[in-house]
Amino acid sequence: MQREKARRLYRKSTCKYSKAGQFGGEADVADRGLGSTDACHDGAAAPRAPASRILLVIPCFNEEASIGGVLDEIAATGCHYHTLVVDDGSSDATAAVASCRSPVARLAQNLGIGGAVQTGIKYAARQDFDFCVQIDGDGQHDPRAIETLLNAYREQPANITIGSRFIAHEGFCSTRMRRAGIRLIVLALNSLFTGGRITDPTSGMRLLDRSAIVFFAKAYPTDFPEPISLAWAMRAGLTVSEVPVEMRARETGVSSIDGLKTAAYMVRVLGYILLARLVRSP
Amino acid sequence: MTNVLPNAETVVVISAFALIYMLALLRKTLQGKFDLYDFLMLSMVAIIPAGFTLFPKLAYLVSHLTGVVFPFVVMFGALFLVVFAFMHNMTARLHRLERQNCALIQEQSLLALELKQAGEGAHRRRCSEQA
Repeated sequence: MQREKARRLYRKSTCKYSKAGQFGGEADVADRGLGSTDACHDGAAAPRAPASRILLVIPCFNEEASIGGVLDEIAATGCHYHTLVVDDGSSDATAAVASCRSPVARLAQNLGIGGAVQTGIKYAARQDFDFCVQIDGDGQHDPRAIETLLNAYREQPANITIGSRFIAHEGFCSTRMRRAGIRLIVLALNSLFTGGRITDPTSGMRLLDRSAIVFFAKAYPTDFPEPISLAWAMRAGLTVSEVPVEMRARETGVSSIDGLKTAAYMVRVLGYILLARLVRSP
Repeated sequence: MTNVLPNAETVVVISAFALIYMLALLRKTLQGKFDLYDFLMLSMVAIIPAGFTLFPKLAYLVSHLTGVVFPFVVMFGALFLVVFAFMHNMTARLHRLERQNCALIQEQSLLALELKQAGEGAHRRRCSEQA
């Protein structure tokens, strides 16, 4: 019953804001002068009015099989988002596949997900983007949901808007073991920090506004960055909101957190969250 | 409290070890492999046992003051303290280097990307001017 209610609310808000067309949609892009990445490079497409510049950061490590599809899906949305693929020292042809469709920042060494995402955030800060959206390169995230994040931001601005799997409980919701772990992290975050109720702290689909971009460009956790970065952000007074999104099971590859690593992950994440509570914001 | 003093052979062996070890460390420091801080901390492995052997009365006094029966226990305690202090600083230094390394790799990748984009932009401008 509750799930159905959440689903209805989600659909209603998506339709409403798609019609309003503040950020997304092809017509909207043209109206607001949102340039594609290419238009942005040479500065040819000068906007008529100040338009929101949105950068999609896609961290990748050996994702040659899926990155092309993800970029095609982004192009198929019709919204000319700026994209940046961060190749985190892949040993396969990820950069070659991605560079046909998007700018690619190639890291000389594998820095892990935190280092790769922060590279994208630093780029967003340097290029003065209004929003930075992180999505995975393994095809788990539907690029059409980016519009949902933007609409949610318009309705209720928060520094970080998370695409949550656990509001409508639709699509792939991870394994039972992991969900239990996520519940523990949620409990820790919601009881130790104020600034927003969180249901999906490990979601890799997040929208950051300018304040969050500036904040994370300076400091971003290297290991297990999603939940820890939320703790850091809320400690610094940034606000967090969530919107239901549907996620898919990864198309290729395997998760880096498996077996005994799950327990180590939990201990370290909870430790870092506790530490973030104890230490004052810099 | 025991009052057994080290015999001459013990003093000679430990002093010789301390001297040779410190000379080797000094050579590496002069070669630039260690800095002065590393030299001092690593020297403690030689200085502390040599100090306890050459000045046994001082060693007994320290063990008496700390309430430990055997001076060699105090000596190992002191050595552990030095090792932990060294490790503490080394860990902090490693983390700092790791952060700097990460920032440098990020900076290098972003500069390469920006350079490429600037080159493409200039090329396009030239093409449009020629057209």
